[in-house]
Amino acid sequence: MKFAYYPGCSARSTCAELNEATHRVAAKLGLELNQLDSATCTGARELRAIDPVGFYTLNVRILALAERAGLPLMTICNTCTLNVLDAHAAFVEDEDLADSINARLAEEGLRYSGRTRISHFLWVLYENIGIERLRSLVVRPLNGLTVAAFYGCHITRPPQRYGFVDSRNNVALEKLAEVLGCRPIDYSGRTECCGFHTAAHDERVAIKLTGQHIKSARANGAATMVTPCPLCHTVLDSFQKEIERDIGENLDMPVLHLPQLVGLALGLTSEELRLDRHMVKTQAIASLIGA
Amino acid sequence: MTNVDVDARRLGQDERHDTLAARNTRLAIGEMLAVRVRRFDAEAGGAALQDFQVPYRKWMRVLDALNWIAENAATDLAYRWFCGSKMCGTCAVRMNGREVLACWEAVEPSMTIEPLRNLPVIRDLLVDRSPFDRKLAELEPWLERPTPYPGFPEPLSHKDIKNASKALDCIACLACYSACPVIGLGNLTDFAGPAPLVQLGQTALDPRNDAAKVARSLERTGIFNCVSCYKCEEVCPASIPIVTRVIEPLKAKAASLRPATATHSRALRAIVAARGRVDPGALVLRVQGLRALVNLPRVLRLFMRGKIDPIKTFLKRKTPAAGAAERLLGRGDSP
Repeated sequence: MKFAYYPGCSARSTCAELNEATHRVAAKLGLELNQLDSATCTGARELRAIDPVGFYTLNVRILALAERAGLPLMTICNTCTLNVLDAHAAFVEDEDLADSINARLAEEGLRYSGRTRISHFLWVLYENIGIERLRSLVVRPLNGLTVAAFYGCHITRPPQRYGFVDSRNNVALEKLAEVLGCRPIDYSGRTECCGFHTAAHDERVAIKLTGQHIKSARANGAATMVTPCPLCHTVLDSFQKEIERDIGENLDMPVLHLPQLVGLALGLTSEELRLDRHMVKTQAIASLIGA
Repeated sequence: MTNVDVDARRLGQDERHDTLAARNTRLAIGEMLAVRVRRFDAEAGGAALQDFQVPYRKWMRVLDALNWIAENAATDLAYRWFCGSKMCGTCAVRMNGREVLACWEAVEPSMTIEPLRNLPVIRDLLVDRSPFDRKLAELEPWLERPTPYPGFPEPLSHKDIKNASKALDCIACLACYSACPVIGLGNLTDFAGPAPLVQLGQTALDPRNDAAKVARSLERTGIFNCVSCYKCEEVCPASIPIVTRVIEPLKAKAASLRPATATHSRALRAIVAARGRVDPGALVLRVQGLRALVNLPRVLRLFMRGKIDPIKTFLKRKTPAAGAAERLLGRGDSP
């Protein structure tokens, strides 16, 4: 099974451990990843707001690179996923926009016809690997590990993209955690916002919002949190010291990237999954599951 | 390629009754609903939850349950409604933690009904809308024409007016204002919130409006503090794509009319145009300038873990994507 793989900016800078872990886990799962090195940033939230044409062009270019390779696209970041999904939808709906983007892409011999299937790693596990096959690949069931799933926003909202009346009803991460042997816990932050997208100019919002989520995860007995988004991870993990200072208590909440949780159950070591690159120490998890 | 018959994007929608069809199968006529209502009376002191048993009848709405309670069990229950048909925007409440219009939401077997958040409660489910009214008045949400009326028909296409047209679907129910996490943080930022922005968008996104006036309004919105969580879109009973069709187009206007308010967005664009991808260190430095030094301890921690790379940042290292980004976005930070 082969994918055009788009890691995004975060997994190649602040969350480079996510990219490494994804490659390791993909190899275990028999996924061949064709990494799109010449793909640009999808524009985060900023480009799409102030320069929609530039935003659509960069994203359709990513889709066109995958289409040229004849492969479905796999993403590992919520915001990138929604960006390419939105750009694909706009491309398909607006013929004028589609023509003007293709005219720009033609300068480098690229063309998009609207055929690329877009899939986040979380969805690939269900749709391409399959839950039963994944279960059979688990060599180290993560028994005893209580997990607080943190979805983030852009993998479950907006409603016109994913169809949820109430995005809190998403259970994809909890079901997956159970397959890996974990015990998912319920808490108030599951589908709430981490505040990442305004943190570069004012991180107080991210610190206040995410503080509530980690506190709730801790109060409900989570030994670790897990997220499918490196942007959420940055706030949950890299900002945790500032969050602790803000609320005046210790949290010590390890936060795993989704491929790291899967990788642990597939028998990869914490070194291979680069748990050492996290800001909050993850040794407690390793000793709980004997990794 | 796909070997399993499952749509992973929607896991939970069936088993957790996330569709209208699934919800309608959950109750039979005459069954008792467990309804818990948050009561509040400042004079009697404090808030309390009160439980009621309400008999289900076909197509029962949250409003019908409230009416039943007011007629049969708590005649002093305070709640607001007028049209009963998703027009007047007065009956929004929270049902099981989610903002809904009482007149347009099916009941659930077990419901906790609470007043909207982020607004002062007057009594029971009644909230004081005046903070919203005041904010909106400050934004001057009206049309001023800098040029004389050109006569009928106006030279407007559906594309010119498409975003304002979406915003005009707003019934000002304030469900989005209650759902917004940034508004939930009180006065931490100067963010006006989704409902005032949608109301503003009705005229600010109209190309006939005076750009100078729109710029003055936008300056007072704190719009770049929107975290793009889509909570507002999720609860909007008028199905307005608030983020994509109102807030983002307003951000684009703010960025072109008042570039200084859009420092973060413009910095990201410039970095992507020059390097192909975002260098987080470069972004923070460009947005915060010397303010970034306040976070020196964190910068050092990030550096120790290899999460930032000052060499890349300061040498302005390009990625293999830089050529395409530069060609498609152009140099500089103006769209």
